[in-house]
Amino acid sequence: MSSDLNSSDLNSADLTGRSARSASWLRIRTVARRHAYVLQRAPQRWFDVVFWPVVDAVLFGSLGVYFSRASGTGPKGVALLLAGIILFHVVFQAEVSLATGFMEETWSRNLLNLMVTPLTEAEYVAGVALFGLAKLLMGVGTVSIVALALFAFRITDVGLALIPIIAILVLVGWSIGLIVIGIILRVGQGAEILAWGLIAMVMPLSGVFYPVTALPGVLQPVAAILPTTHAFAAARDVVSGHPLPWDQLALAAIGSVVTAVLAAVFVTRMLRVFRSRGFISRHT
Amino acid sequence: MLSSHAAATLDPMTSGQTVLRATGLVKRYRRTLAVAGVDLAVEPGERVGLLGPNGAGKTTTLMMLLGVVRPDEGVVEIVGHTLPTERSKAMAHVGFAAGYLPLPERLRVREFLTLFAKLYGLSQPGPAVDAALDRFGISHLAANMGNELSSGQRTLVGIVKATLHRPRLLILDEPTASLDPDVAHRVRSGLARICAEDGTALLVTSHNMTEVERLCQRVVFLSGGRVVADGAPDEVAAFFGRDDLEGVFLHLAETESERSR
Repeated sequence: MSSDLNSSDLNSADLTGRSARSASWLRIRTVARRHAYVLQRAPQRWFDVVFWPVVDAVLFGSLGVYFSRASGTGPKGVALLLAGIILFHVVFQAEVSLATGFMEETWSRNLLNLMVTPLTEAEYVAGVALFGLAKLLMGVGTVSIVALALFAFRITDVGLALIPIIAILVLVGWSIGLIVIGIILRVGQGAEILAWGLIAMVMPLSGVFYPVTALPGVLQPVAAILPTTHAFAAARDVVSGHPLPWDQLALAAIGSVVTAVLAAVFVTRMLRVFRSRGFISRHT
Repeated sequence: MLSSHAAATLDPMTSGQTVLRATGLVKRYRRTLAVAGVDLAVEPGERVGLLGPNGAGKTTTLMMLLGVVRPDEGVVEIVGHTLPTERSKAMAHVGFAAGYLPLPERLRVREFLTLFAKLYGLSQPGPAVDAALDRFGISHLAANMGNELSSGQRTLVGIVKATLHRPRLLILDEPTASLDPDVAHRVRSGLARICAEDGTALLVTSHNMTEVERLCQRVVFLSGGRVVADGAPDEVAAFFGRDDLEGVFLHLAETESERSR
């Protein structure tokens, strides 16, 4: 008997402190590694991180060039559209990587396998989000490189103001991803379309490319409560050469934290319903 | 109901605490009472069969023991850790495999096993993966993709996954359902060896009563969500006035069928 492998010995190490933290970190990295394998071997997954970023950069860059020429606004219009699409990809990639990461477990019927390991729900989300950050870098990197190569727009010229804006958008993206996971836990795989559908709704409502005042009046109150609206408004100001509007940024930050808390509460409740009603049978 | 639990006499964990203790488990799905007050204790090294006809409550009971389904009433304790509050600690001691679970498609067998070994806390899982593959005679499958395996091979890999971390409790749901007799024999031998060497407790469901008689020292029969018999296979058969477990199973299936009419 090779006692070094026995779970009784494992447990003596997992009781407290550093060993427990290192075991937790190992599980988080393992979940991230599992999703790296999926991306490596599923060509269709590259659509989200390469194909759509290229399509979006070409589409919105070209639209910007056309409208700038037609209206005589010069390169500023192109910059606003390209900055908008690049920052939209931050929230999009964060959301989609988290939601599709969970969906991969349902597609491969791996959910039960995971639920009977020591992996906690928080570790699982952290692992998928960790790998999601890598996908986010790929997706946002792709759209930024295409914007630079084809339209000479350098997003880094926006400066350090980008950092808090991106952080807020990542948090909102993860929150929407959690909400999608919660809905899938509750109603099953039929809700998968929301992984792309919810974020598609956020795009027009958040005024990614225009001020909220351009929206129909009935939608403006809805837009005003979205943290993304204030993050994109702040970004537009900075891209237009104005100082960072701290009031917009503060609203966006507060809103993103509130959204994250609500999303965490929602997914926790849905997980409770999932366990209580035995919905695992849908995934075995 | 019989109550003569076959006490484990296997070294080295005989003196250890009860591996699994479930008390008063009740589960309702809307109007259906799936489990109606199940008590179950499994000692170190014990090999227990959880049996019963379709609809008896086996799967729901298993899922509650694994913390995947929350009981409406009752308590589950694994190696002293109570579910659901200490689920993560409890699951570090549990291995689970089911004949109906596929392998993730985009992973090689070694990658799949390595990932799960790490989830169970093995930071250098190579030797454990090699040993577990060798134990069940499937080292040659290590480089195969999950979707290249036959149904039986996938089941074997699932069992290997469940034993990687040398758990204190091994829960197997229909483990040999898709295996040919030769491979099923190899699985039974491997499982018996693990139980004997490590003192691992085994809780297994199966519809193959001959297999259960060969593998298990004790059987627990469920019917209508309740434990209706608990004891050594020959004692349980004698209790129902049948020659063997197959006879008991058919008797209970008939009872279950009459109840559902």
